[in-house]
Amino acid sequence: MCLFPHPYPLCLADNLMRVDAQTRSLALLIGPALLFITALFLLPLGTVFVNTFRDDIGAFTLQGYRDFVQDPVVQKVYLRTLRLAAIVTTISALVGYPVAYAIARMRPGRRSLAMSLIILPLMTNPVARTYSWLVILGRLGLVNNVVEALNLSERPLRLLYTETAIVLGLLHLFLPLMILSLISAMENINVEVEEAAQSLGANRLTVFRRIIIPLSADGLILGGTLVFTGCITAYVTPALLGGTRVLMLATLLYQRAMVLIDWNSATIIAVAMVLTTLAVYRILRLFRPRTL
Amino acid sequence: MKPGFAINSILALTLVFMLGPFLLIFAASFGSEPTLAFPPRGDLSFIWFERVFQIQMFIDAFQTSLQVALAGSFTALVLGVPVAYALVRHQFRGKDLIEVIFSSPAIVPGLVVGLALLRYFVLLSDVPVTTGLYLGHTAILFPYTVRVVSASLRNLSPTIEEAAVSLGASRLRAFLLIVLPNIRSGVVAAFILSFITSFNNVPLSLFLTGPGIATLPIRMMLYMEYNFDPTIAALSTLLILFTVLIVQTMERVLGVSARI
Repeated sequence: MCLFPHPYPLCLADNLMRVDAQTRSLALLIGPALLFITALFLLPLGTVFVNTFRDDIGAFTLQGYRDFVQDPVVQKVYLRTLRLAAIVTTISALVGYPVAYAIARMRPGRRSLAMSLIILPLMTNPVARTYSWLVILGRLGLVNNVVEALNLSERPLRLLYTETAIVLGLLHLFLPLMILSLISAMENINVEVEEAAQSLGANRLTVFRRIIIPLSADGLILGGTLVFTGCITAYVTPALLGGTRVLMLATLLYQRAMVLIDWNSATIIAVAMVLTTLAVYRILRLFRPRTL
Repeated sequence: MKPGFAINSILALTLVFMLGPFLLIFAASFGSEPTLAFPPRGDLSFIWFERVFQIQMFIDAFQTSLQVALAGSFTALVLGVPVAYALVRHQFRGKDLIEVIFSSPAIVPGLVVGLALLRYFVLLSDVPVTTGLYLGHTAILFPYTVRVVSASLRNLSPTIEEAAVSLGASRLRAFLLIVLPNIRSGVVAAFILSFITSFNNVPLSLFLTGPGIATLPIRMMLYMEYNFDPTIAALSTLLILFTVLIVQTMERVLGVSARI
C-alpha cells in the first residue's frame, strides 16, 4: 500500500505496478474469448463486408451494390420483407398488449405457468414448429378438411406458399417475444396508479390508453424491435411456408449463395440485411419515451 | 384493474393459436397412411415413430446436434464466465466496446454469420465440417452466456469475495470456492439457454453441412424436400415433448422466462 501521494518515485512505481496487474488480469479474463470471437466472428464478417467493395482483381468498385439496387427480384423481395415484417409487428403489438396485461396481473403460480406456455414456441425446434403449420394449411390439412366438410369451395384451397402462411408462421414464432417484453415493462406499473385513474372516473379503455400504454412504451419499442428485426432475418418460416414461390430476403440470400453459387450477390444481400436491422434499431429507439 | 372478459378471451385465443398447432402435429403423427393429413388418415398407428428410429440419417444428425450443442455451450461458458466477471467487477477503458463485441453475435443475422464462416473460415482453413459447426456455434453462444452470467454476478455482493481474499485466498481460489457456487443458478440457466439455442439453430448450420454431416433441423428440412409422409410429424412430436420437458424444468428450478 502506498501512503504517499504521487511524486515519490517509489509510490509511482507501486501505482504503475497495480495498473499493470489489472491489465494483466483483464487480459487473462477477456483475452481467450476475445481471440476466439475475433477469429470466428469479427474477421470473417469484416472480410465479407470489405470484399463486397472489390471486383475480381481487387480494385474498389460499387458495381455489386449497383446491381443489387437495380435487380427487380431483389426490389420486390426487399419490399415484401419489410411489408410482412411491419404486418407481423403490428398484429403482435395489438394482440400482445391485452395478453401481456392479463398475464402481468395473474397470481405468481398461474403466471409462471402462463409464461412457460407462452415461451414454448420460442424454445421449440424451428422445423417442428413450422411443420405444424403444414398440418393446418396443407392440401389435406385442417383448414381444407373443414372447407370441404362445409362445402365452401369446389377445389382444395392453396394456402401454403402464400404470404398469409408466412405471416401466420412468423406470428407464431415472434408473438412470445412481444408478450415477454410487454410483461416485463408492465411489472413496473404500480396497480395503484390504475386504481387512482379509475376512482377519478376513467373507464377501462381510458386507463389502458392513458396509463398503461404510455407507461409500458419502453417494452413496446423493445418488443417491436425484436419482432421486426426477427422477421427480416428469419429463415425457416419463409423457407417452409413460402418456398421458392414467395421469397423473403433470407430465402433469397440462401438461394443466391447455395443454389446459384453467386457469392457476391449473396454477400450484398447479407450486408443489406445487417444494415436494415441496424437501421430498425436506430429508428425505433427514437420513439423511446424519455424517463420521467 | 382486473382483466375483464374481453382481455381474458384474447388471452385464451392466443394460447390456442400458440399451442394448438403442436396438438395437431401430435394427432397427425398417429395415422397409418403415408400422407400428412389432419384429421390423420387410416388407423391409429405408431409406424411413423418407428420410422424415425429406423432412419440412420436422423440418428446421426441427432448425435451431431447433441455433440455440437453440448461442446459449444460448455466452451462458450468456460470462455464467457471470465468475460462476464471482468465486465461486472472491473472498470476499464473500452468496456463498452467489449460489451458490444460479445453481444453482437445475437444481433447479426445467423445466415450472414454462416455465409461468412463458410467462405472465410471453413473453406480457407480446411477444418472438418463438424469442427466448423462446433466453433461457429460457440461463437454465436457468447451473448447468452455473458449476459445471463453477468446478471447473476451483479446480484452478488463483491464483499464476500473480498472477505475471502483478505483472509488470504488467491483471486482464483476465491472465485472458484466463493463466487461460482453463488452464481450456480445463473450458470446453469446460461448453459440450458445456449444448449437450446445451439440445438435449434438453423441459419448457421445451413451453411456448415458436409457429406453425411448435418445437424438435426437441417436433416429434417432436407428430408422434407422429397418426402411427404408423417415421419417428420412424429419426429417433431418427440422434439416438442423434449422442449416441454426442458422448459418445465427450467421454469420450476430457475424461473428462466424472466431472464430471456
